[in-house]
Amino acid sequence: MLQYAPLTVADGRRHSVIWPIAMAAVALSMRRRLSWILYGLSLLVFLMFFFGQYLLSWAQGQTAETTIRIGFIRTDPTRLIGVLRDALHMNGGAQTYRNFVTLQGSMVVIVLALAGSVLIGNDFRCGSLAFYLAKPLARWHYLAGKGLAVALMVNLMTTLPALVLFVQYGFLDSWEYFVRDGQRLGAVSIGSVRIPLQGPNPLLFGIVGYGALLTVCLSIMLLATSCWLRKTVPLIMVWTTVFFFFRLVAVALVDGLQYDARWRLLDLWNDMTLVGGTCLGLGSESFRSSRQPAAAEALVVLSMVCVACLIYLSRQIRAVEVVG
Amino acid sequence: MASADIADLATLADGEAILRILRVSKWYGGVLGVNDVSLALGPGITALVGANGAGKSTLMRLAAGQLRADLGEVRVCGISPLRPRAKAIIGFMPDGDRFYEDMSGHTFVATLAGLHGYSSAEAERRTRQVLEQVGMAGRSERPLRNYSKGMRQRIKLAQAIVHEPSLLILDEPFAGIDPVGRQQFMRLFRGLAAQGCCLLVSSHELDEVEKLTNRIALMAHGKLVGAGTLTDVRDLLDQHPLTVQITVREPRRLAALLWRISDVRGVEVRDEGEVIVRALAPRRFLQGLGALILEERIDVERLRTLDDSAEALLRYVQRT
Amino acid sequence: MALIELDHLCRRYGEQLALADVTLRAEPGIIGLLGPNGAGKSTLLKILLGLLRASAGTVRVLDMEVRESGLCLRRQIGYMPEADAIIPGMRGVEFIILAGQLHGLSRRQASRRAHEILSCLGLEEVRYRALEEYSTGMKQRIKLAQALVHDPPLLFLDEPTSGLDPAGRDHMLGLLWDLGHHHRKSLVISTHLLGDVERICDTVIILNHGRVIRHGRVADLRAERPDRYWLRIDGDTTDFVKELMLEGARILHDNGQGDLRVAVPANWRVIDFFALADNQDVAIRGLDRDDEHLEELFFRAIDEPHEAGV
Repeated sequence: MLQYAPLTVADGRRHSVIWPIAMAAVALSMRRRLSWILYGLSLLVFLMFFFGQYLLSWAQGQTAETTIRIGFIRTDPTRLIGVLRDALHMNGGAQTYRNFVTLQGSMVVIVLALAGSVLIGNDFRCGSLAFYLAKPLARWHYLAGKGLAVALMVNLMTTLPALVLFVQYGFLDSWEYFVRDGQRLGAVSIGSVRIPLQGPNPLLFGIVGYGALLTVCLSIMLLATSCWLRKTVPLIMVWTTVFFFFRLVAVALVDGLQYDARWRLLDLWNDMTLVGGTCLGLGSESFRSSRQPAAAEALVVLSMVCVACLIYLSRQIRAVEVVG
Repeated sequence: MASADIADLATLADGEAILRILRVSKWYGGVLGVNDVSLALGPGITALVGANGAGKSTLMRLAAGQLRADLGEVRVCGISPLRPRAKAIIGFMPDGDRFYEDMSGHTFVATLAGLHGYSSAEAERRTRQVLEQVGMAGRSERPLRNYSKGMRQRIKLAQAIVHEPSLLILDEPFAGIDPVGRQQFMRLFRGLAAQGCCLLVSSHELDEVEKLTNRIALMAHGKLVGAGTLTDVRDLLDQHPLTVQITVREPRRLAALLWRISDVRGVEVRDEGEVIVRALAPRRFLQGLGALILEERIDVERLRTLDDSAEALLRYVQRT
Repeated sequence: MALIELDHLCRRYGEQLALADVTLRAEPGIIGLLGPNGAGKSTLLKILLGLLRASAGTVRVLDMEVRESGLCLRRQIGYMPEADAIIPGMRGVEFIILAGQLHGLSRRQASRRAHEILSCLGLEEVRYRALEEYSTGMKQRIKLAQALVHDPPLLFLDEPTSGLDPAGRDHMLGLLWDLGHHHRKSLVISTHLLGDVERICDTVIILNHGRVIRHGRVADLRAERPDRYWLRIDGDTTDFVKELMLEGARILHDNGQGDLRVAVPANWRVIDFFALADNQDVAIRGLDRDDEHLEELFFRAIDEPHEAGV
């Protein structure tokens, strides 16, 4: 054996293990070309909003004209503004962000389904969970690391672009957008000038809150599902059932058969949208279909699902034999 | 290198050969996996020895009818192993681990028995008998997913012998088996051989395999280097000097005396009374050595021929 | 400082007693852990790694008390599992870097160490290859690499030579011997291959039915039999054997292919074998004292009757 050398550690600090687990998981999921394609598609949605807001702001300055030209399209500025602001809600209000995140939803769900097997399914299938558990870390470190990986992927597609849109709108509209409707925090005096302090636009918290909600719910659900079905195709099948099929069932029951609005709680994505909307300050009256359950009920359903998933996860991880 | 004459069929059969491999070659893309191998085996146990990549698995799969030879032919009891009829007389215990994880061991073996054409009652009876023989009686109701490596090996063996084949090909049968289980397996193999079955065993655990049988077929780089008893194969490598280690009380005296024997090519004295001597013409040298020891009344504590094991042979053929 | 100290260690699984009243003190060195299936080896390993809690008794490893949280302990131990533990898609060097990071090294330290370890285990040419493309020998070596990345003083190895061909086995055993003797690491090797244990282990622990039935150095445990010899004869042994019996020797075992084990009378000298061989015109290819081998020791130990513990 050529010169096995003992380890000399210059910096004796012990670094966290959660970050390396998360980074390794993200790096592995991003190796697939398909993930990049899907990220590209989600970027398109973001770009649509980004340029939409810009277009709106520009069109609002052009109301004096009767027709304007955008590229090779001729249209009446008021009509354009109507489309962008009222129909698509690209007005920097709470609806904008909720719509954006909801639109990104399908993309997020598919990316996660593809990533699930690489993220955690393979660990169960190929015995690498035993590799992790034999190291000096507790089982919750492992779960937290994987959860962080999913969180990074979710946030990269939802919260982060939403925040960019928020900042962009402020630049396009006016500076006071950043502190619009913010809480009054008193005032500070500099010399003889009295400057009132205001908290930031609560929409900012709303965006972050919605993102956090999505992150937590989706990561826990994905981890549990991937732990159950370790391969990609079954995972995609179950994931689409949960998100798309149940949605159809809920819509059919509530809108079609006029059942009680609570049946819509089956649609988990809708639940997340409801609660997220509440974070952004929107009530259920802003939904297209008027019969919605209360946000509080949605929150209860989501919590129950998450708790069940966590229990399942901890059981499964506990059951893995590190020593054969 | 070995001067084994491979043009003649290397025959390890006392009577009618059960497995006949005639000038077989097999390519994998551009790589030659098995190169012009000829071998005939009769009832009894033959060990197939070689490093990873030497062509052992390929040869076994050719014999089992899982691969088609590119050149040459393979015959098992006169018929080609590729034909469905041949599968009734061939049992194969593969190296890999591919099961239907949800089935219980018992169901797995019974299903495969059914595939051999037995009625379900007959398949059931045979399954029970064979599970008893491999030491899995009473333990085979759980799904295969929960089995340890040793248990999986036993199930693999069970499915290979459930139809009482004439040719039994075993790839690494001892992997993951504890010493007690190994003895059970060896008893089972010897029993099968005594009933007239031809067993071809490949294993990296050469000490185990040497306990099982004296007949080996040595492969290196896709070629069959030699086949026969260990001593025969060793003696075939007559270009390679025999290395003998003798532990005596007066090593230097012995070292000096050894040069009297004409076949000696090198003598080395090590610590603790060890003398290492290299000589050609093994049999003649050993008799000369015996005579020398008697004449000079040398006090011998220990005598070992260092290439007398399959392992040493293997090491030698891998180098050349 | 003792390596492992077990005091009345018990482990129950419901009614079953996997480990019953195990008391032993193992000194640093290369230790072989042997036992038939179901003897309690894997249970013992799990407890020593801090992954399982003992039902009763105390366990001290590297002078640390092991309770349920073996986290501290696993910082000082490297474990090389029997099963494949690969992360598909990952490259060799990334895998070892991850292992290093999981032991608390920074990414830079782990990276440097990973390259170093892979080089010294002979994997530098395949370090950028994906793990699923590794051959069996490479997989075994990378498992050893991830156990060594944090330079632990104690290593647990589960079947380290499984699946390796004789050359690979030689190499692996050489590595382990080196680690044990030149780098003064302690190794606990759990294996079914008694030959490996004979080659590199100083001491053995034999388990059966959850109890330690033998513990000590192989040389001390094996029975010496000065009146027994092993012979390998070149030529026709029938007459030779007859002559031996006439001279008062007992033939204990004759495998019909030249290997003999004989028990000789009191005043026998080795040279008498050569005289006989010369008479009968056969050559002696091998001769040695027939002390108990590890395998015979093993079977003698496990065949002893035991009281079923409750």
